[in-house]
Amino acid sequence: MAWTWFHRLGSPPHVYAFARRWTPWFGGAALLSMLIALYGGLVLAPEDYQQKDAFRMVYVHAPAAWLSLMVYTTMAVAAAVGLIWRMKVAHAAAAACAPVGAWFTVAALGTGMLWGKPMWGAYWVWDPRLTAELVLLFLYFGYMGLRAGIEDPVKADKASAVLAVVGVVNVPIIKYSVEWWNSLHQTPTVMKMGKPAMDGAMLWPLLLMFVAFALYFAAVLLIRLRAELLRRERNASWIREVLT
Amino acid sequence: MSEFLSMGGYGRYLWPAFALGFGVVVLNFVLAVKSLRNAKEEARRRLEMNP
Repeated sequence: MAWTWFHRLGSPPHVYAFARRWTPWFGGAALLSMLIALYGGLVLAPEDYQQKDAFRMVYVHAPAAWLSLMVYTTMAVAAAVGLIWRMKVAHAAAAACAPVGAWFTVAALGTGMLWGKPMWGAYWVWDPRLTAELVLLFLYFGYMGLRAGIEDPVKADKASAVLAVVGVVNVPIIKYSVEWWNSLHQTPTVMKMGKPAMDGAMLWPLLLMFVAFALYFAAVLLIRLRAELLRRERNASWIREVLT
Repeated sequence: MSEFLSMGGYGRYLWPAFALGFGVVVLNFVLAVKSLRNAKEEARRRLEMNP
């Protein structure tokens, strides 16, 4: 009984129907929570005593950076499931993650640079966290390049999955870089042991923005997963059914 | 309003950062929808070739 959901996860028509049903809900909830969080962060939250209004960067930079890591972790777990259980849907999910993660890594790096300039006096420094995040971008590029470079889809799935799983070592390096090394980047404010070092009026819009980004990722992943499933499943009768 | 836009002088960094971050949010949604549309068209064409 407990395993039936797992078997259903391996069935492309079931996953396709699930994705189609749930995308509008995830997308709608993401949009609504994003707008409320933006209003809370840009209008309602008071300015920081040190960084003044520049602290509001956190409402776009932190969720983007967090998503860049969450998408990679999701991709690595899906790739591992695909390797271990030879599940086609899992490989499709991993492939669907990569472009989304790469874009959010670009957003994390870009918004970080725009925050770094007024706070540190430089757009870029070869700091452990910044460097490790740049490596993350190259891992996404490597994953996508490898997939594009191998014609046989089964071989492409396997080779790219190995890269995704090996590369996951970079995720804790990024997360703990600010604690392990002497970093210019500030240490965690919210995702740490104990109470967040932030006032409630500043904190709720940030937490809501994290939720919004997670819901948004779910919606985009489900759309991309449907596209992947359609491309992979050739001449299956269920495709005829969903397209007519 | 202009006070809000200037963000205590940090507006010139803050607004481009928000434009980039939420631009990526919009772009990823558009790219995903386009990818699904293309995949549907390809699948339809395949079905027409092998009825």
